[in-house]
Amino acid sequence: MRKWSLLAGLLLVAFTVAFTAWPAAAQGQGSLAVVYDVGGRGDLSFNDMAAMGADRARRELGVMVTEVESATTADFLPNLRALARSRQHDVIVGIGFLIQDALTTVAQEFPNQKFALIDGFVDAPNVLSISFSDHEGSALVGALAAMTTLEAGGDTVGIVLGIEIPILLRFEIGYRAGVRWAVDRYNELHGTNKQVRVLHTYTGAFDDPARGKAATEAMLAQGAHVVYAVAGGTGLGVFEAVEQAARAQGRDVGPPFAIGVDSAQDWIAPGFIPVSMVKRVDNGVFAAIEQALAGTFEGGVLQLNLAAGGVAASSLDMLDVFMDEAVAAGKMRPEERVARLEGARAAREAVPPSAWEALNELDQLIRSGDYEVPEALDRETAEYWREVLSN
Amino acid sequence: MDPRPGDDQAAESSGAADRRRVVRDAAGTAGQVLLAAALGLIIGAVLMEIAGYDWTRAYQGLWLGAFGDPWSVADTLASATPLILTGLAFGLCFRAGYFNIGGQGQMTVGALAAVVVGAYIPVPTPVAVFLVLLAAGAAGAVWSLTPAFLKATRGVHEVISTIMFNWIAFYLALYLAFYSLNDPQSAERTVRVLPGVRLAPLLAGADATAAIFIAAGIALALYWLLWHTPWGYEMRVAGLNPSALRYAGASPVWTINWTFMLAGMAAGIAGATQIIGRPPTYALYGDLSNLGDLGFDGIAVALIGRNHPIGIIASAVFFGALGSGARMMQIMAGVPLDMVRIVHGVIIIALAAPEVWSIIAKSLVRRRAARTEPVSAQAPNSPARR
Repeated sequence: MRKWSLLAGLLLVAFTVAFTAWPAAAQGQGSLAVVYDVGGRGDLSFNDMAAMGADRARRELGVMVTEVESATTADFLPNLRALARSRQHDVIVGIGFLIQDALTTVAQEFPNQKFALIDGFVDAPNVLSISFSDHEGSALVGALAAMTTLEAGGDTVGIVLGIEIPILLRFEIGYRAGVRWAVDRYNELHGTNKQVRVLHTYTGAFDDPARGKAATEAMLAQGAHVVYAVAGGTGLGVFEAVEQAARAQGRDVGPPFAIGVDSAQDWIAPGFIPVSMVKRVDNGVFAAIEQALAGTFEGGVLQLNLAAGGVAASSLDMLDVFMDEAVAAGKMRPEERVARLEGARAAREAVPPSAWEALNELDQLIRSGDYEVPEALDRETAEYWREVLSN
Repeated sequence: MDPRPGDDQAAESSGAADRRRVVRDAAGTAGQVLLAAALGLIIGAVLMEIAGYDWTRAYQGLWLGAFGDPWSVADTLASATPLILTGLAFGLCFRAGYFNIGGQGQMTVGALAAVVVGAYIPVPTPVAVFLVLLAAGAAGAVWSLTPAFLKATRGVHEVISTIMFNWIAFYLALYLAFYSLNDPQSAERTVRVLPGVRLAPLLAGADATAAIFIAAGIALALYWLLWHTPWGYEMRVAGLNPSALRYAGASPVWTINWTFMLAGMAAGIAGATQIIGRPPTYALYGDLSNLGDLGFDGIAVALIGRNHPIGIIASAVFFGALGSGARMMQIMAGVPLDMVRIVHGVIIIALAAPEVWSIIAKSLVRRRAARTEPVSAQAPNSPARR
């Protein structure tokens, strides 16, 4: 026993001596740090989009990139502090609304450190709050959903969401507005008086496909033709439910259809996702480090809307890029690529041309400022718009 | 080594030999732990080398992130705080021969109770903190008493019932966090507890609060209970030999309830420390993400701490160090969190292996004894009945 403890003691001493010295900091062109949301890398959605932006900054600006994932929400604060304390990063970017509390605290503690926050707002001169016009992008896919339903003689669409945070209310009301706009346009063109009902469910999770699936099955049972998944990993259950429902009717292509979110998710259930609402979180991350390096960084809000390329309806070109990402992340085998792309193309063709026309027309109207999509960031406003848009 | 029989000072030197043996055993255990840790670190290094990461830098990060500066030490202690308590929740029951897998649920209801009392009952600070801890402890105790009662009266296996109670607690908390305790301004979490019950950081810019003293105090109190009171003696006897407890005239029903109640209290207070003792949110997230899997982690903490309150404190600090070090492993060496977790898993398994092995060996011995001695099969919680 004595021999053992002596040996162990020696090991401990060696370990301590070896690892106490702080290593010299590597000096690069600049440095970007990213703190991911809970759920982290590999969600094929929100966080992976942020990582894409960091990769682009590494390639195009030659910056060093430090990435930190957070195991729980309690890790946000120490993760941000550890990065700020090292004083090595030109800007530290927090990903996601949930990190807002922690970032508010750390921005006060380190007033000389630049921060950026995706999807939240911190009122401090050293924080760039990056906000996306989720309502505009959601209106586009809402118009497509409504037209698809109407052309098939249906009257119901759905939206399955994650946790009821302000950002998601913005998605929901934008989607409802797009549906309403398309229905009004359809009635005007055809001289009819049709209506489309929008079902919504907040599942309370961003990482629970089972709940997404259950919510979607309930919507399909009520006659929903298209279901929009705004729920990170929970959305994978939406895709599964829609695909199963179609296959049960002997179809390899929708209807019913699902709509993806954040990244171009069209490839995940090929044949059943005609479009995704792409949120260019990557552009937000890139803008933060670009501004910090150029010396143009100022606190305040950077609004990335449809016109600025912050949000968009996915295209096949975009899909190509995201499939590269998925292959690189090991989420898709390279040999599946062609088949999945074909599936996505088939889903696009299964949606009536008039739905694409409506989407493109609304896109132009929003860009030109001729149509303003209502925005809701709290329950009360959301309740008001639900009422207004369904009458 | 042993005192020679017939020696004049036999009694005295036998006492000294006892002390020497205790010291030698402790040194032996410590040596075993450190060697296991070293083995875990080496395997982790090999894994990181194969995956193409700079493992020397990663371990430098692990060390610096855990103990490199005062803030790191404070973060380590902050992460250790709830683990001490959930570790006790498992370890205490284990000492008495029961498997309490319900720490997670007991912690969850404790956190709920902390939010309710902390947010809605305006009383002066020291009283308020005490009330919150009391409520959380009581909630955890109530949550563990039902499985204990079912075990004692109906023979329902505690592993099954405590796991089920985890799910009940989980969905109850989800429901309440979204519909009843929800902050209208910020729908992703519950209302915050009042400023008066929020424990302040011990060191500006770090997460550790007085909650660490609460957790350590409870661990010491339970140590005293186990080894210096008749109740604790009965608990330990129940764990070592349930039949002996019955022959001695003590009531197993009473022991089960009492043990589970204390364990539930510890886990409940763990929930409270995450709410009132962890800046900056001071609320429960709607998806319970600030509780994480701390209740389940407590099982590993207890196993590595050899189910001894003092060992559990050390083991929880070790887990806290791994958690805190994970940060710098990512920042300094660019090792992704998933890889960090694999390395941590290897280290934890290496440390837990001796204890797990001894549990299996003990259970085998008991089973064999039960087979040869049918009388002992009468004991309500003998492995033979399981």
